[in-house]
Amino acid sequence: MITVHAQYQSRFREITSVERESFELEQPLVVELAARLTGKYGPQMQALLMDEDGQNLNTRGTLYLNSRGERVYLEDPLQDGDTIYFMVGIAGG
Amino acid sequence: MESRLLHVNLSTGELRIEQLSHAIFERWIGGSGINNWIMWEHFLKHDVNCDPRSPDNIFVFGVGPLAGTGSGSGIKGRITFKSPCYGIFGDSAAGGKFPYMVRFAGFDHIAVTGKAPRPVYLYLCDGQAEIRDASHLWGKNTAETHAALNAELGDYPSHVHTLTISQAGENQVGIAAVVSDASRIHARGGGGCVMGSKNLKAIAVQGSGGVRVANPKGMLEWSRGFRASIDKNEAIYGFKRRGTLGAVEMYQHIGSHFWRNNQGNMFRGDEIRSDNWVKKYHKYSEVCSADCFIACDGRYKIDGTESEKAKKYVGETFRRPEYLTTGSAAGALDIRDWAEVAHWGKITNDYGIDNQDLSCSISFVMELHQHGLLSERDIAELFDRPQSLEWGNMEDIEALIEDIVFRRNLFGELFNDGPYWGALRYSQRTGRNFMKYSIYGKGGASFTEEMRPFPTWMNNMAVASRGADHLKGIGLIEKFQRRDLSKRYFGRLEAADLSTPVLKGACTAVVENQVALLNSYGVCLFHWMLDPAGYAPEEYYGRAFAEVTGIDRSPEELMRDGERICNLEKAFNSRLGLRREHDTICERWMFEPTTEGMYPGKVAADMFDTVLDEYYEWRGWDKASGLQTASRLESLGLGDVAEVLAADGALVRA
Repeated sequence: MITVHAQYQSRFREITSVERESFELEQPLVVELAARLTGKYGPQMQALLMDEDGQNLNTRGTLYLNSRGERVYLEDPLQDGDTIYFMVGIAGG
Repeated sequence: MESRLLHVNLSTGELRIEQLSHAIFERWIGGSGINNWIMWEHFLKHDVNCDPRSPDNIFVFGVGPLAGTGSGSGIKGRITFKSPCYGIFGDSAAGGKFPYMVRFAGFDHIAVTGKAPRPVYLYLCDGQAEIRDASHLWGKNTAETHAALNAELGDYPSHVHTLTISQAGENQVGIAAVVSDASRIHARGGGGCVMGSKNLKAIAVQGSGGVRVANPKGMLEWSRGFRASIDKNEAIYGFKRRGTLGAVEMYQHIGSHFWRNNQGNMFRGDEIRSDNWVKKYHKYSEVCSADCFIACDGRYKIDGTESEKAKKYVGETFRRPEYLTTGSAAGALDIRDWAEVAHWGKITNDYGIDNQDLSCSISFVMELHQHGLLSERDIAELFDRPQSLEWGNMEDIEALIEDIVFRRNLFGELFNDGPYWGALRYSQRTGRNFMKYSIYGKGGASFTEEMRPFPTWMNNMAVASRGADHLKGIGLIEKFQRRDLSKRYFGRLEAADLSTPVLKGACTAVVENQVALLNSYGVCLFHWMLDPAGYAPEEYYGRAFAEVTGIDRSPEELMRDGERICNLEKAFNSRLGLRREHDTICERWMFEPTTEGMYPGKVAADMFDTVLDEYYEWRGWDKASGLQTASRLESLGLGDVAEVLAADGALVRA
């Protein structure tokens, strides 16, 4: 069992209505965190977080980084105490 | 494909319409690609080394083939010229309604040369063009000029849409911008200065025409598909409310802001967050461009309840700040109140001046003051008055803006071409070397984001044809660490790995080619960045290009088209004497490590030369000199360009 923190920005925060929350995970994997998020927040989170066939994290206009600034993918491991930042990925403007 | 180019010679008053051949689209796609070719041909007959403020310079406006077609994406107009502030290739894009109205008025490109004997504006309406007196507009800012032209021209046969300059352009300030419909700014490179040097105050258009499309049914199908893909992309709903301000928190987490002249990379204070903007200032959104399916724009109106400082701006209304408006104000200048950030965006727009060059120039002198490098005597000499140079002090900042807009003292004169030339001139004048405090790439002002952790972006700053710039090769594969795209384009993962220089030069080149395509289609880069329909512009938007023009190319052929466009921009700069040593960046980025955010301790020097070498290799250019090679140009169908470069001694025979 590990504890990870989820930090939300932009559309993610609109859906969750919180800026940050913590999850205890049985498996230290991004895939479990993603399942917890879609289970908790429903179809809108599913549409934002996952791609159309639900097999991978959505890459279209989104960015997910761990505390070390590394993009995380569904199959990636998580460490106890990690923060995952869920963001809309844009640059410049 | 039918297309019309209007030639305007302001010295003689001659107006001439040229029907552009289908072949030009085959070679240059449209938009920026055709603009570049028009400028290239102009400088085969005029001295390319001319003073950019002289009548020999050219000012080109153009739209891409998707503009006005209902594609939902082809919204950008582009201006192209020899840059007066950097002395190299210059261009700049903006959206809004002006671009499609130019087409509805019967034109696709406008090429202005010479200099009018008195202030004039150019009026286009339903296939006709006139040069009109603008004496009554001279001295007005961009908002006043737009309003005056609307009152003068009325609403028939359509609303009036304008490109205007302000007093900054009239005063030939090198970093003066051109503003579309008083709200959308062609900021980079000094196009407003070029217009001002020609006594061209504005271009006003009205039109009731339409746009021919090669395959209307196919275009409509493409457009419907594009719309559907946007509507089901949840990320876009947040983007609509925040626009590019959505990047504020992301950059705060990463440590990618540009604080106090890039001494740091995170904002200070709790106020400047997009959530606070949405809560306090977000009044309504509007369709940002007539032909845009995303509509990320919004307006604010300050009522004075938002903050103590907002009371000063009660009643002020304008567009929501973009990220770089915020990056320059809350970052470079350390302004910590949203009302002041918004006001910064409005006044730089009304004064028609690039807020990236401007903020980097002001933050340069503020940093000198911070380090005690300016004596009272220095300050009196620079400003002709007592002047506090306090970070974040809006009153000080407004005074400094006007110094540059009106070139009213030594500071305004030295820095009218931006922070690189300003710092160099001030160093030379005082005999002290202040260049380590100037933030630039290739002589151009930085855009106000932290670059050091991102080797592809750092390389963009060095090699971009118009000087330090992210919009010529926006390195999303690297910054967003898209392993899927790295694999797709390179068959390997390193392009998405921030820790290695491998594939960063290659990534710069590939993305530059893609962005050249998007800029030539006229597609907004945010459509591409939000990726509603797949990343590859050579595939998805290439289909729209085919439906509109009838030119059906494979993705590989389109990537070569993008490469051809990039090579012409490069060739223009090579004619001006630019070589490898000009593809460089400032001392702070090169040697001073980042201290904050997710990527502390990063300096560009660790990877810079390796990335640049790989970039030249990928481009097929000569690594030692940075020059193009005859073989690569010929393989791109640019043998004629190679001949010009050879005659100028700017080509490597390999």
